Amino acid sequence: MPAAVRDEASNGDEELLARIAAGSQAALSALMARHGRGLRTFATRYLGHAADAEDVVQEVFVTVWKQAARFDPGRARASTWLYRITANRCIDQRRRRALRNFFGLDDIGEEPAALEANAETATAARQELAIVRDGLSRLPERQRMALLLRAVGELDIAAIAEVMGASAGSVEQLLVRGRRALRDHLADAAGGRERKSS
Amino acid sequence: MTREEFENNRRRFGDDIDAWPASLKGPALAFMALEGDAGADAALDRLVRQAALVESDDRALARKVMARIDRGAARPSLVPRFLFAPTGLAACAAALLVTATIAGYQVARFQDQSQDSELLALAAGARLADDGGSAITADPGEGDPL
Repeated sequence: MPAAVRDEASNGDEELLARIAAGSQAALSALMARHGRGLRTFATRYLGHAADAEDVVQEVFVTVWKQAARFDPGRARASTWLYRITANRCIDQRRRRALRNFFGLDDIGEEPAALEANAETATAARQELAIVRDGLSRLPERQRMALLLRAVGELDIAAIAEVMGASAGSVEQLLVRGRRALRDHLADAAGGRERKSS
Repeated sequence: MTREEFENNRRRFGDDIDAWPASLKGPALAFMALEGDAGADAALDRLVRQAALVESDDRALARKVMARIDRGAARPSLVPRFLFAPTGLAACAAALLVTATIAGYQVARFQDQSQDSELLALAAGARLADDGGSAITADPGEGDPL
């Protein structure tokens, strides 16, 4: 997204947050229309569990409704603030699920990527996307979060660092390693396909 | 996708990958991401974005969020919210553990006290009750004229 368009969108988000703080449900709906899909995509691919992601995104917007007055446009962009809340909720959700798994209270996790991957083997294009999803799900958590914030949230390094509570340098490292691992996974898959066809 | 296929498609559909047929976009982005040319990172990011997309019903999300907000406004919880968070649960568990430990020490202390007094009495010459119970009868020598 070009910088000018991003700035305009950010200003729009800040206005919406100001209206939400004043109690406008219409403004909250508009914010959900703008960011709901992105946040849900991020949460789904980070958690690997569609129902948990749905729950997290609902919680995020309820939090936004309650805490919009605390948003400080001088400190961060609205999108950065939204992704920060979402990332924190995702981490909490992951811990809760790990605890439930530890006590054997959970059913088997719902893995949307794996289900889609099986259904998508028909065409090469979809297979490529399924391989990327598979590669993403295998990345270490922080690398996956950094890559998703970059690719899905379209956040820059400084914003990702703000969301993850890390330095810009370590975010760059996470992105480099994550991309390298994903490229290796793609190359391995391509090599495997060539071996099969020959 | 091989370099030859990629170049053929580029000649046919143009430089803008977004304008290519949907079935070719993924393989083209994967090719660009793997080739390591300038823009490889951007191509990989676009491929990740495309791969990550999930079905989303914005209206259903808005409806559910509004319902949660209405529920929250109608029924404020009596239990503090932080108790549901992992840190709150951990704090509750720690408080329970400390309480149980203190209670255990108290019970054990009372038991030790009675045992101590029994041992002291035995050492002083008292004897156990005849039925073998734990009660200690009065010192047999007590009150007897010397």
